Amino acid sequence: MRTLRSTVASLGLLLAVSAPALSAHHAFVSEFDANKPVKFTGTVTKMLWVNPHAWIYVDVKKPDGSVEEWMIETGTPNTLLRRGFTKESLQPGTEISVDGYQSKDGSRRANGRDLTLPDGRTLFLGSSGPGAPPEPAKK
Amino acid sequence: MRHRFMTAIAIAAVVSAFSLPLLARQAPAAAARRPAAPKPWTLTRTPWGEPDLQGVWNDATSTPLQRPDNRAGKDVLTDDEAAKFEEELAFGLTRDRRDGGAEVDVNRAYNEHWMDARRLKITADRRTSLIVDPPDGRLPALVPLSAERQKARAAGAAANARFIAGMPYGPDEMSLPVRCIIRTDSPPYLPTIYNNDFQIYQSPGYVVIAPEMIHSARIIPLDGRPHLGKNLRQWLGDTRGHWDGNSLVIETTNFRTDNGVVYPGANPEAYRITERFTRVAADTINYEFTIADPTTWTKPWTAVIPWTKIDPAEQMYEYACHEDNFDIVHLLSGARIREKNNEGGR
Amino acid sequence: MRSPFGRAMTLLAMAIAIVVLCVTVLPTAGQQRPASGQFSSYRAPRFFDGHPDMNGVWQAFVTANIDLEDHEAQSGPHPELLGAYGGWPAGQSVIEGGEIPYQPWALAKKRQNAERRMMVDVSEDKTWHDLGDPELKCYMPGVPRATYMPFPFQIVQGSSDYILMAYEFTSATRTIRMNWKDNAPTDSWMGWSRGRWDGDTLVVDVTGQRPETWFDRAGDFHSDALHVVERYTPASPYHLMYEATIEDPKVFTRPWKISFPLYRRMERNVQLLEFKCAPFTEELLYGKFRRKF
Repeated sequence: MRTLRSTVASLGLLLAVSAPALSAHHAFVSEFDANKPVKFTGTVTKMLWVNPHAWIYVDVKKPDGSVEEWMIETGTPNTLLRRGFTKESLQPGTEISVDGYQSKDGSRRANGRDLTLPDGRTLFLGSSGPGAPPEPAKK
Repeated sequence: MRHRFMTAIAIAAVVSAFSLPLLARQAPAAAARRPAAPKPWTLTRTPWGEPDLQGVWNDATSTPLQRPDNRAGKDVLTDDEAAKFEEELAFGLTRDRRDGGAEVDVNRAYNEHWMDARRLKITADRRTSLIVDPPDGRLPALVPLSAERQKARAAGAAANARFIAGMPYGPDEMSLPVRCIIRTDSPPYLPTIYNNDFQIYQSPGYVVIAPEMIHSARIIPLDGRPHLGKNLRQWLGDTRGHWDGNSLVIETTNFRTDNGVVYPGANPEAYRITERFTRVAADTINYEFTIADPTTWTKPWTAVIPWTKIDPAEQMYEYACHEDNFDIVHLLSGARIREKNNEGGR
Repeated sequence: MRSPFGRAMTLLAMAIAIVVLCVTVLPTAGQQRPASGQFSSYRAPRFFDGHPDMNGVWQAFVTANIDLEDHEAQSGPHPELLGAYGGWPAGQSVIEGGEIPYQPWALAKKRQNAERRMMVDVSEDKTWHDLGDPELKCYMPGVPRATYMPFPFQIVQGSSDYILMAYEFTSATRTIRMNWKDNAPTDSWMGWSRGRWDGDTLVVDVTGQRPETWFDRAGDFHSDALHVVERYTPASPYHLMYEATIEDPKVFTRPWKISFPLYRRMERNVQLLEFKCAPFTEELLYGKFRRKF
């Protein structure tokens, strides 16, 4: 694996140099702070299935009982739609865990780096449970 | 009848193309280990006699634009080498890794399944680069920049540094993709992290290529009409096409001169791009482009990227961008807040 | 008793009259000036699949984008700056029955929209869409507004299951999926269009539109329950007749219908040009967040 990693390191540098289009679109570090990681569990109140980023609104209960609303930025919904998910797939009331990075301006916004269900399954990955893709009917 | 004659020629061309390795440039050793012969396939045509390119196509791949140093001298890989190459690339690209420190982790953005899964696969023909000319698979040597262009580059780099630090001055100094003006719809079409989809429509006298990002339709007349006058410039240029045998050849001129309109680093005044689309299998179009800009590169360069048919099982969906582009405000208002709090760029 | 001279003059007059008639009226007797609102019966040339060929660059010439209902000429915004440049022309309603049948609460909301059509505030994600005409912000107009924007659009009809409609305004596009079962997986600005043929009429059923679009600059709006059924019928080699039935039980008391002709753009080498208006709106939307030096 060490060989793999050093190979990848040299490859990675080349990739960054050789494929400008891959980096041209967005540097996430421009908006989210690598020094402000966040990790919490909360209840989904809604999901905006919009481009260029979908947003998941999560209510997080603080130790003192008050509730904070966080807005979690995720990827393009189109990739999920092609895997069979729809706007109904993430229902309000679903509990999710967010492992991400907070907005640089300190607002309650975070990059949804790793989103999971309480049982550890990755959100929108599984074929069962919340967000199971329906059978495609097409024509 | 001319139509039938051309069809016969076309079929002969397709058959001969399949009896050879995908690229004539392959070394003889590679030919001995080429993939199994594809299923017999006859080029389908539209009712008005042109090769049928209609459908939804995806161009995602992990094959890099330029041949990596550690594959120098090898343009096509053996089966074993290809598997290893694909594994290395996928390991570098996957978003499911959490190593490398927080800065790297933030830029991986999201879980891997938000990305296009096809971008972890190398091209079926096992090339080590998308560039096929120059033969070393690398961009040609650069022409030294004029002082004026160096100055413009430096200004662009400074604006980009401000953006990365989260401190942009205004919307106009952000990139065209971030401003939702153009994204992968700007030619040449290059694979990116997601939404690598294109829908092709055809009607007599037209071919239309509609990239997913950002929902534009590149309507290409085939009737030989001239390009727009030189004072009519467009973000996506102005394209004219014709059939060269079974390949659709398109030429684009009339690009605007704003930063980011043409290939990064190129000079819009000298830039020329020619693209070719050839359907080579039921589920494959070969997309080839040649960029020539003698004020930037010492030679023209050419890349080939295979497109895979994905419909009807997968569809292209609307990619609205400007309409819900909340991040522009997050970035700008966030910068103003941090300026007020005297926080510098991080 | 007529004199022979008188009879000869009468005959001469008749002959002159006949000559005049032959030269002027009679040759055109078979060609009548088209009466507005009426098309002679027309059968469009067949496309390869036996349906009419609708390929072409089309444009509406009603002023419905200003207001679907009757509207007088008006000065438009900032006349002290724009003068006659900014004036908007008068137009007659394109609605069958003349007016939109709003529920009472919705009529009040429409008037409020109209008052606030040029107010914009994108400082908060949650209220991003609350104010202002989406056209002002260069947002995709949805259906049917895209059809009657004062810009051309192109129909690309081929031999696949999809027909493309490409609009010059903000390069908006929509795919019409022919004989398609699936519903929209999510909402979109240009909606989810499913088409079928009804004789020579292309019928397009549009659902799944973002509720934020308006029908015009007069604040006419809808909810997420909007359902539009369009009909495109060739009326001459140069016209399509366009009809759209609009249904939204949350906003209107009943469905209502608009119709007007679409004209084939006949300029030599006509093509859609770019109207990428997002950059035109950056100062309006984001100017207040710009760094001040």
